[in-house]
Amino acid sequence: MTLAHYLTVASLLFLIGVFGALTRRNIIGILMSIELMFNAANINLAAFERFLHPEGVAGATLALFIMTVAAAEVVVGLALLLAIYRNTDTAYVEDYNLLKG
Amino acid sequence: MLNLGLLTPDLVLAGLALAVMLADMVLPPSRSRWLYHLAWVSAAGVLTAIVLGLGKPATMGMGSLWVADSFSQFFKMTTLLAAVLCLLLSLDYKALPARHAGTFGALMLFSTAGLMLLVSASDLLLVFVSLELVSISSFILAGFERSNPKSNEGAMKYFLFGAFSSAIMVFGISLYYGAAGTTKLAAGLAAPGPMLILALILIFLGFGFKASLAPMHFWVPDAYEGAPTPVTTFLSVAPKLATFAVLMRVYGTVFPSAQYELQALVALIASLTMTVGNFTAFFQDDAKRLLAYSSIAQAGYLLIGLAVGTPLGLEGVMMYAFVYVAMNIGAFAVIQAVGEEGGYGLDAFDGLSKRSLGLALTMTFFLLSLAGIPPLAGFMGKLYIFASAVEAGRWWLAVVGVVNSVASVYFYFRIVHRMFFRGTRGEPAGLRVGPHVYGAIAVAVAGVLFFGIPPEPLIAGVRASAHLLP
Repeated sequence: MTLAHYLTVASLLFLIGVFGALTRRNIIGILMSIELMFNAANINLAAFERFLHPEGVAGATLALFIMTVAAAEVVVGLALLLAIYRNTDTAYVEDYNLLKG
Repeated sequence: MLNLGLLTPDLVLAGLALAVMLADMVLPPSRSRWLYHLAWVSAAGVLTAIVLGLGKPATMGMGSLWVADSFSQFFKMTTLLAAVLCLLLSLDYKALPARHAGTFGALMLFSTAGLMLLVSASDLLLVFVSLELVSISSFILAGFERSNPKSNEGAMKYFLFGAFSSAIMVFGISLYYGAAGTTKLAAGLAAPGPMLILALILIFLGFGFKASLAPMHFWVPDAYEGAPTPVTTFLSVAPKLATFAVLMRVYGTVFPSAQYELQALVALIASLTMTVGNFTAFFQDDAKRLLAYSSIAQAGYLLIGLAVGTPLGLEGVMMYAFVYVAMNIGAFAVIQAVGEEGGYGLDAFDGLSKRSLGLALTMTFFLLSLAGIPPLAGFMGKLYIFASAVEAGRWWLAVVGVVNSVASVYFYFRIVHRMFFRGTRGEPAGLRVGPHVYGAIAVAVAGVLFFGIPPEPLIAGVRASAHLLP
């Protein structure tokens, strides 16, 4: 297992995440795709720290921050989803079409 | 050196935000308006503290995690000024639930504290964390009218685009770490290579979403139309300008975009942003949406300063940023005053001059300033930015900018035309405007007039502040 393997997995995860976030119609699906993108960055950070820069802890620190912040972001997103679901009874983005112009 | 003292204003503001939240639990609901007063007084106090502390030598803290130089102090002042004015506006905004006044004030202050940390950050770790602090609080603020489906929808779109852009930026930061071995901004210079350039582009895309640059601007009109008007005002000014401050720090100073051949990309995005913003604004019938597209176009003008990348461009961006706070908040304040009674459609402005001549005249001032008509402050800012483009030999960018500002006069004058040359639907009734909205408008008018007609004080201030410590 070399650095290239890890980076390939991370890039694939990132691209799957981008593809999912752009094509999913359900809010939960989009949220999951965005999580994939965050986790691709975390894999990158861990791999870089292990293979290229084993002397410091900057990569691991950043990965911890990313996990925490991503969790906080998802909490807010789900709260917003609950609020909008109460008013519209749907979790599909194509049904949110009040704002246009 | 830890130098935590450099961040005292930011930390004090975050502490005050917590205090507002705690006060919410103690105060009886009938006194909930005190919380808004507490919030804006806290922001104004921190602003005074920063103004009094100006002129200290630039220093770095915690290795090079944060930096307090005159550039960051300048943008902290614009951010705090915007926060004070927006909190004043929210005092007279009726749709905000009175039960959650403390939460609202606290979130505004948290968002402001995040922006202050963001303009001081000289390490991508701090950039990321503070940007998320800003984003997460703004998502909640945008959806604050919980029973209003428009507010829900705007907040949801804002959230999805915001989270997506953060993820792209984080991936860029992870590549940056791989190339440079650290997240410090200054360290990247020693490690040129394709991975670093890819990282810089991805990070730029992340910032582009927050600053509403053209291919990444789709959330802006929806989020601005749906959000409560004081929040729209805040979003259209403070996060945008702070993002530009970081852009100037990263792509103007630490990594000169000329060296990485990113200038063509930035110039292309700048002209695209201006054009898309202005030409879509032609077709809007909602005042908040129209100003949302106008604020996209304004971001395009600001980006010219970055594409040029000279010291004159930097001064132009700072100057325009300061002026933009006054004129944009002023315009939104009038929109709120009108929209609270007649809705936010453009037809609410019909015959405003007969209902309240003062309000119609000040709105005309702000719109003229946004369009860049000579004696007002907006003109000086645009002049500086376009002059920097000509000086650097990118005259075509200046031409695009001038053509765009001429075109923008058309849609700004659609509002002016309605205010002065159309009758009201029925008898012109007087307009009731809250005292705090008047206060915010007065500050904005003072900014537009006093920094436009004699621009020397502002130019001198910007000159003195345009020093970055990379």
